[in-house]
Amino acid sequence: MIEFNNLKFMYSGGKKFALDGIDLTINDGEFIGVIGPSGAGKSTLTYAINGTVPHHYKGDFYGAVKVNGLDTVDNKPEKIAGEVGCVFQDIDAQMTATIVEDEILFGLENFGCPAEEIEERIDEALKALRIEKLRTRSIGTLSGGQKQKTAIAAMIALRPKILVLDEPTGELDPQSSREIFELLKELNKKYGMTIIVVEQKIMLQCEFADKLLVIDGGKAVHYDTVEKVLEHSEDLEKMGINCPRIVTLARMLHENGLYDGVYPAELDSAEKMVRSII
Amino acid sequence: MIEFKNVCFRYETEDTIKNLNFHIEKGDFVAILGSNGAGKTTMSKLFNGILKPTSGDVVINGLNTKTTRTSMLAKHIGFLFQNPDRQICKNTIRDELMFSMECIGADNADAQKRVDTIIEKFGFDPSHDPFSLSRGERQKIALASIIVTEPDVLVLDEPTTGLDYAECMQILNIVSELNSRGTTVVMVTHDMELVLDFAKKVLVMTDGRMIAFDEMRKVMKNMEVLSEARLLPPQIADLALRFEGFDDVYTHEEMFQKIKEKVRV
Amino acid sequence: MKGFLDYKDGNSIFHKMNPLSKLFLAVVLCAMCFVSSNIYFVAGVIVINLLIAFAAGIHKMALSILSGLLKLSIVLFIVQVLFVRSGNALFTIPGLNLPITDDGVYFSLLFVLRLLATALPLAVMLSVTQMSDLANVMVSKLKIPYKYAFAVITVIRFIPVFASEMAGIIESQTARGVEFDTKNIFRKIGLIIPLCVPLLISSVKKIDSSAIAAELRGFNRRTSKSGYKKYPFGGNDIFAVLICAVVITAGIMI
Repeated sequence: MIEFNNLKFMYSGGKKFALDGIDLTINDGEFIGVIGPSGAGKSTLTYAINGTVPHHYKGDFYGAVKVNGLDTVDNKPEKIAGEVGCVFQDIDAQMTATIVEDEILFGLENFGCPAEEIEERIDEALKALRIEKLRTRSIGTLSGGQKQKTAIAAMIALRPKILVLDEPTGELDPQSSREIFELLKELNKKYGMTIIVVEQKIMLQCEFADKLLVIDGGKAVHYDTVEKVLEHSEDLEKMGINCPRIVTLARMLHENGLYDGVYPAELDSAEKMVRSII
Repeated sequence: MIEFKNVCFRYETEDTIKNLNFHIEKGDFVAILGSNGAGKTTMSKLFNGILKPTSGDVVINGLNTKTTRTSMLAKHIGFLFQNPDRQICKNTIRDELMFSMECIGADNADAQKRVDTIIEKFGFDPSHDPFSLSRGERQKIALASIIVTEPDVLVLDEPTTGLDYAECMQILNIVSELNSRGTTVVMVTHDMELVLDFAKKVLVMTDGRMIAFDEMRKVMKNMEVLSEARLLPPQIADLALRFEGFDDVYTHEEMFQKIKEKVRV
Repeated sequence: MKGFLDYKDGNSIFHKMNPLSKLFLAVVLCAMCFVSSNIYFVAGVIVINLLIAFAAGIHKMALSILSGLLKLSIVLFIVQVLFVRSGNALFTIPGLNLPITDDGVYFSLLFVLRLLATALPLAVMLSVTQMSDLANVMVSKLKIPYKYAFAVITVIRFIPVFASEMAGIIESQTARGVEFDTKNIFRKIGLIIPLCVPLLISSVKKIDSSAIAAELRGFNRRTSKSGYKKYPFGGNDIFAVLICAVVITAGIMI
């Protein structure tokens, strides 16, 4: 569970709050899609969860963040890291090893995983991401999608309760992006892992997330189930967030009195919506 | 305008680009689609001679890229990369734009005038340091520094990566306006919704081969082509495929009209 | 330069050897070239290097290093030969009154051969050794603090990343008309210098996110006992010792 208690944060040298009064709770086992325009504070929010804000990125910090009961100010990031696994935007920068297996091993060694358990954990992580075949491959030869899966596997091996990802599919093609979201959903369902993913690809967010968290100007403007948040599609578009076209369609149907059901998050519901009208 | 004749390109042993043949007319807006590793980026670099074909010819405005230096082609063809940080190297926006003019050897008075016009058009503060701005702003600066030289062809390699929707629209609206005034545009992208909104023609790549080059709408619902290239149709087009008699529906407006018709009947 | 120092996968005896043995072997090969002043011996070391490279399946890389150094060697040889005055004159360059002596030829040849012989061993060994293995073994066997080992790995890991970043920057600039495709090398160098700004900026960003990522994966919790992989010495390592013994004996005897 992650509790944000009126969190405010301004980077040192900054002129305004990057996070401006975040006050919400993320429950265990939820799949949260974080969306918002550039510079809204989405990445800063992920830093606040893993403790790099305020430990690495200094600044004015007010309020509190508790990750599974651990206060992020009192506990160092490496302590929080036992609860939260993070995958960052720059995939090349976060790799530490030259082959896949060693990449997964790195965290396990650091956290003092018992030797007899290590093989099992590596196997499990590779299997969860379906990359068993890449085990001894050199990381330099992997595609973007494969690198991203390796980074996630390295986190999974540590068995964190929460997984935070900042634009994990930013440089991937539609098919590979989809694969990543499918794998995240699987981790969420199978292991009950809490997933928090910042991503611009709104169609994937709507399809896979349970809840959407909309950040704008450092504030959480909406935080609710996908369908509920999509009711504010006009509001989202004003912020510069593009809604899936099926949502725009649903809004037009609503406005013209042709439809009064829930907003569709993916194609199947959109199909149902259209069938209910014609 | 742009001509690819039997173009092959190989990095090491295997052909990354396999025998491309096509012709792009002046004023076209062509989207190049394909999954990662299909050869899109390699192909885009063949347009302005950053890569020279291993065999075959690429001819731009009558200039063969094999025999013309890439830096000389810059006058004719502007190239916007995914990452603006690789391009921006000056400390103010004005210097950055002036540098572009210097690169093509433009004469000073004319260069000043063009830079001023572009700065006004984009609403930049000319003395701003590009590195202190957001990624979206920097991408706009990169675009500005390319179009200030008024190239006949604009090649964009996934120009919207890392941008939010509003920034993405700003970039594409500028590009679209240039296109309507005669600039030929070639855009490599993954985003099918953008293609639907802006492209006139679509070229689909898979495994280094061209599997389709046609009017945009003819390709957007061609599941045979799209699935071979590991692509999905734009969302509403995809939805329309699930219904009988929705053949001409691609956008939400069209879908809405169609539903209204059906309800009336 | 592409692929230089990259690990080349394989199953040869040299791949399986303990990283320390490989390092030891490389150091012995280099050192012996300076212990002995015999041209035939030094040439022999080059041959041994090439044989190792062939056995490990990385002869292409080894030969490309040699051919890359050849031009430099020729220049160095000529300069050396002209400067050494001792020994018997073989002939005199007409007009310049510069004698070419037998000592001059001998020492210049030795110098160039040493250059070639010492350039190879480390490159060959690094190509058949995973960086992480080398670091792990240095931490566990040589008791080097992990932080230093990790720093070395990171630098080596970043070389190709930065190289491709630089290539990307050059492409971007060429595309806008900067004459990187000029044949004039001085002009090219002049053009590259301003580009260090974008490279520096992206490097700083990368290194910063790299540090955070490592920290979040418990880097600071690591102790000298954290290494999971063990690196026992085995039969393959006897082979390394054997080569060393032969080379050392030969070097001293000849």
